[in-house]
Amino acid sequence: MIKHLIAGIQRGLGLHRPGRSLLILPDDIFLVSFPKSGNTWTRFLLANLRFPDEPATWANINRLIPDPTGTPKRDFDRMPRPRIIKSHECFDPRYPRVIYIVRDPRDVVLSQYHYHRKIRKLDDESPLEQFVTRFLAGETCPHGSWGQNVATWLYTSEASPRFLLLRYEDLVANTARELVKVASFLQLSAGLEQIAQAVERSSADRMRQLEKKQTDKNELVKGSRKDLSFVRAAGSGGWRSELPAPMVARIEAAWGPLMQRLGYELSSQPSKQERDYEVRNEVSGVRS
Amino acid sequence: MLGQFKYAVKYVLGLDRAGRHFTVFPDDTFLVSYPKSGNTWVRFLLANLMYPNETVGFANINRLLPAPGVLSKRFLRSLPRPRVMKSHETFDVRFRKVIYLVRDPRDVAVSEYHFDLKKRYIEPEVTLEQFVKRFIAGETSSYGSWWEHAASWIAARQGNPAFLLVRYEDLLEDSIGETRKIAEFLGIEADAERLQAAVERSSADRMRTLEKQQADQWTGTKNTRKEIPFVRAAKSGGWKETLPAQSAEEIEAAWAPLLNFLGYELQSRHLDNTVMPAWVKTGQPL
Repeated sequence: MIKHLIAGIQRGLGLHRPGRSLLILPDDIFLVSFPKSGNTWTRFLLANLRFPDEPATWANINRLIPDPTGTPKRDFDRMPRPRIIKSHECFDPRYPRVIYIVRDPRDVVLSQYHYHRKIRKLDDESPLEQFVTRFLAGETCPHGSWGQNVATWLYTSEASPRFLLLRYEDLVANTARELVKVASFLQLSAGLEQIAQAVERSSADRMRQLEKKQTDKNELVKGSRKDLSFVRAAGSGGWRSELPAPMVARIEAAWGPLMQRLGYELSSQPSKQERDYEVRNEVSGVRS
Repeated sequence: MLGQFKYAVKYVLGLDRAGRHFTVFPDDTFLVSYPKSGNTWVRFLLANLMYPNETVGFANINRLLPAPGVLSKRFLRSLPRPRVMKSHETFDVRFRKVIYLVRDPRDVAVSEYHFDLKKRYIEPEVTLEQFVKRFIAGETSSYGSWWEHAASWIAARQGNPAFLLVRYEDLLEDSIGETRKIAEFLGIEADAERLQAAVERSSADRMRTLEKQQADQWTGTKNTRKEIPFVRAAKSGGWKETLPAQSAEEIEAAWAPLLNFLGYELQSRHLDNTVMPAWVKTGQPL
């Protein structure tokens, strides 16, 4: 009861985190992804692009690109518009404009496994295989499974001009080029110099350095294990060496067509020769 | 500022409207649909099925088959479990067990047009053609477009045993058979007699009579234009007579893959082969 009363007072003062009850404004832009898909990095990139006078850090990122579950309502009301807001939610029809970041689920699962060790949701002995099972069932976070999160956004919105799909892998491979796309989507006039500066200020190295100094200034890392860092590999394709083949196969069995649609090559994919053979058989009506 | 404090007081007392912000239990079942897809009819069917000893009407339907959107959090907490509730939300990952009711969007458009006139959401001068353009763009509802709604649920859940897809048209065609499927899904043991009774007590005629008596006792019809009824045609395919051909074509052009997937025949036959891609379905049990 007391707890409820305190929550009520916080609401009166606008100090609560609005979460889903956030009042969405028609010019809001949402930066959406499944967790561990490069959302924080992209937040840094966007913050540095949008607010060149205030370099993004772990201490101010929740104010610059706020998170409805981590930033007080009052900060949302005081922000300059249009606001760029972070989210991990599955499809939400209220979001007026959406930048959706997708990442290869074989890398996401590893990243989430390490993150859960860092925040002490998992201990070091916890088997990866068990985690993969829960990951496939959508039980490792409250935002659906990777497939549900991606498919609900992609199928509802891919044709919309108010939806921009980015692949984390493309962001890693050519950050400046992808950021130019984002700037044009946001109708931000950003010269190449500004783009370069945003990329520089959001580099993995700089984020690692800042993390060391500001580790207790951000909810994402506050109180977590200091021997594991939030900014980890910051690359793509780590699964090839770190994720055992049977687990790769299970992920591909679950979401193969969706992964292929996004350009993530399947390791269990039949070779071109095999595919041609199947097509020939289907055409001639022969079934195995 | 004052509004904020009023809300804070309501919040402390648990009297704030739940909307999307209430605690969902793992044993909850949700009857979900886009608006104007037969949700109220199926609420009556379910309530009559679940509570054969109650006289189900507009006056008590919010209590028997609650709508979180218009009820307080305190009320929702007080309900006996497992709860069965109605919802118009797009995919919500917290809803584990879902009966998804879908209706031909060409009929939904006509139905929503009349409902919005009744509710005074649109001016009487607005034509159906104008309305359909906004309907396709998802501007006539706070729950997104019909496409976004159906696509989000089907992409996330189709194929999952805890997801039952019911077509309004099938429910009209074979009310008893479809109600039996729903009863089985809910784990209600209903013999032919009980099914028959539930269907009869939820008939369009009976609902029309109840509406006349109780229109002011229900959030859906309170303070609306009385000359336009809530329970309207209660049939399928009415769009063929009332919807301008141009508007029907616009809907088909926009949403052909889902219309085909759901078995709604197109006028524009050249779109017959527009199918839903295989990558959409992610809801299968693993």
